[in-house]
Amino acid sequence: MFRRHNITARIFERQIRTPSPGTSVHCARRFYENIVPGSTIYDVECPDHSFRKFTEDGKYLISFSRDHQDLIVYRPTWLSFSCKQEDCDSQDLPVKAKKFESFFTRLYSVPLASASELICKDFFLYAETNQFGLFATSTAQIYDAPATGGAIQGVPSIEKITFHLLRLEDGVVLDERVFRNDYINLAHSMGVFLFDDLLAIVSLRYQRIHILQIRDSGSLVDLRAIGEFCREDDELFLNSSAQTISSVDKRAPEHMPMNNAVNGLHLEQPAQENPFLTGIKQRLLSFIVRGIQSEEKDEAMRIQSLKKKFYFHFQDYVDLIIWKVQFLDRHHLLIKFGSVDGAVSRNTDSHPAFFAVYNMESTEIIAFYQMSSDELYSLFEQFCDHFHVPSKSSLHMNFISSHSNNIHALEQLRSSKNKATSFSLFIKKVLVSLPFNCQSQSPSPYFDQSLFRFDEKLISAVDRHRQSTDHPIKFILRRPPHTLKFKIKPGPEAGVTDCRTKRISSFLFHPTLPLALSIQQTLFLQPAVVNIHFRR
Amino acid sequence: MNSGSLSGGRSWPSRTSLTSSGKRIQKEMAELNTDPPADCSAGPKGDNLYHWVATLFGPQGTPYEGGIYFLDITFPTNYPYKPPKVVFKTRIYHCNVDSSGNVGLDILDENSWSPALTISKVLHDLRSIFTNPNPYKPRVPGIAHLFLVDRVKHNALAAEWTQRFAK
Repeated sequence: MFRRHNITARIFERQIRTPSPGTSVHCARRFYENIVPGSTIYDVECPDHSFRKFTEDGKYLISFSRDHQDLIVYRPTWLSFSCKQEDCDSQDLPVKAKKFESFFTRLYSVPLASASELICKDFFLYAETNQFGLFATSTAQIYDAPATGGAIQGVPSIEKITFHLLRLEDGVVLDERVFRNDYINLAHSMGVFLFDDLLAIVSLRYQRIHILQIRDSGSLVDLRAIGEFCREDDELFLNSSAQTISSVDKRAPEHMPMNNAVNGLHLEQPAQENPFLTGIKQRLLSFIVRGIQSEEKDEAMRIQSLKKKFYFHFQDYVDLIIWKVQFLDRHHLLIKFGSVDGAVSRNTDSHPAFFAVYNMESTEIIAFYQMSSDELYSLFEQFCDHFHVPSKSSLHMNFISSHSNNIHALEQLRSSKNKATSFSLFIKKVLVSLPFNCQSQSPSPYFDQSLFRFDEKLISAVDRHRQSTDHPIKFILRRPPHTLKFKIKPGPEAGVTDCRTKRISSFLFHPTLPLALSIQQTLFLQPAVVNIHFRR
Repeated sequence: MNSGSLSGGRSWPSRTSLTSSGKRIQKEMAELNTDPPADCSAGPKGDNLYHWVATLFGPQGTPYEGGIYFLDITFPTNYPYKPPKVVFKTRIYHCNVDSSGNVGLDILDENSWSPALTISKVLHDLRSIFTNPNPYKPRVPGIAHLFLVDRVKHNALAAEWTQRFAK
């Protein structure tokens, strides 16, 4: 059957046909093939801010001032202008309309930085249900910080990191949470993960996963800290049982020789190193040992296996530190463990790492995988969407293309798998992205791989900077007739004559509207070239 | 004797010419592998013969049931003339284990140690403190007292510790 794909034909078809069950959203999304951000306003005159991203509901555009002092929030609005001539479609936009202000209305500007702290422009998380934004400010890093008070050696320190919870509607700061002399990886929000109202913050320096809740009232509440202890009241329990022990001592001093050493009372001497394994390490080691025990039925084999796989590597396991964490659901965390060196170095690929699935309610390790585990890879290949946990509230977040929900993405993964020379190296390369960065993918339909094809080296749903080329980035229809639908070209219209300077582009796509910003920067501190891509 | 500084002096005896203590430890390791005691296992950490880890499984019928306890065992260079040093790395509510994890076990005492004893015997005795704590030579008198006057409460507390810290 011959089908027309123009928008009139599609609207007509929508009127007369009911889509197959379960495909109505997919059918509706096909309209994006017709409505594309094909027009560009080059080098638009706009405030010199660092534009961070559109919120996932498309209500706000987040930006920071260049001096990292203020948060400036815009509301995306639709361009409106009047045109006196006939046939204004073919006319160029009036000069007055070609402004940043015709697309974005400034809502407010809030100073977040203080005397010593600056805004981390790479960090922003959005709690969609109550339209709260989480921002971070911090002081400079100290690289050779001494490891005191239970901190681990080799991790830099930041004197003060503050998380600010803002109501984005009006920019009111609702709550703050301060971490002192700690290290939290704020780049690309790596060290923080938001799931519904639960927030996991990884303190690299003190090896704790802080679980916080964002209440509707706008307060940040500590739920538990996983690391040294597992259950939220373990520390309290330890202190109180230490007290009962000593009170027993007082009642019967004549029977027993006095001994100041009370089991577990290390807390009174915080300067002294804790001689015991931390809670999470105890869970991890006993999981490994139980696994080997049940794996080998033959006793002699089991002893050999324990010796080679467990005791030989015992110290390596003990030395592992928590690198990164993500929620899998409200109870389960995917934790990546690795060496201290790997945690702070930029190139983590070469360092060995392990993944653990931890249930924070039952305080159990459920699974433990090596970095090149076939099993974890096959889970990842089949159920990738279980690793990408979208917020429950917004439907369109479920349509971010992955190799588990999109045949084209799967084909791409399979083809690079077949091309790989070493399967275990390939697994390592793929799994290095786990745990995922929180809210790192744009839900824009133009990145839906069942609608469009584009060069993923130049542009993709993943929020990151890319090296710019002078060629426009083509978006080609995935389905027949496979035509070029639109192009996105960052940088000035005429291109750049000076080829020597490296240029970096980032792209901010609106989650639902045919609207995008491309920002091209040179490595020098020149103002960025901002283009607005939209549908006329 | 300070037992907290385990990571401090990790000595690496030469592997090419094995000392008599090394030979002895190897022999004991072979022995342990052929006839392992119940509920426990042990092996050298990395390639250092003098630094071992032991795993004790809390025996059934005790409040420590279900717990997995890791212990550091350090052999002195003049082993077997001096006893190995044993430290709990897992928290335990036990009258013979102090707040730093040091174990009060008769045979590990320098004066009562005999070169005829082996690591298998040490593990056996360590396991027996789970089933039979010795409240008359306690490291933590409070726990020992509770053990003697209110066994039910003692066992409940010990079981709670097992659940929280030794799983």
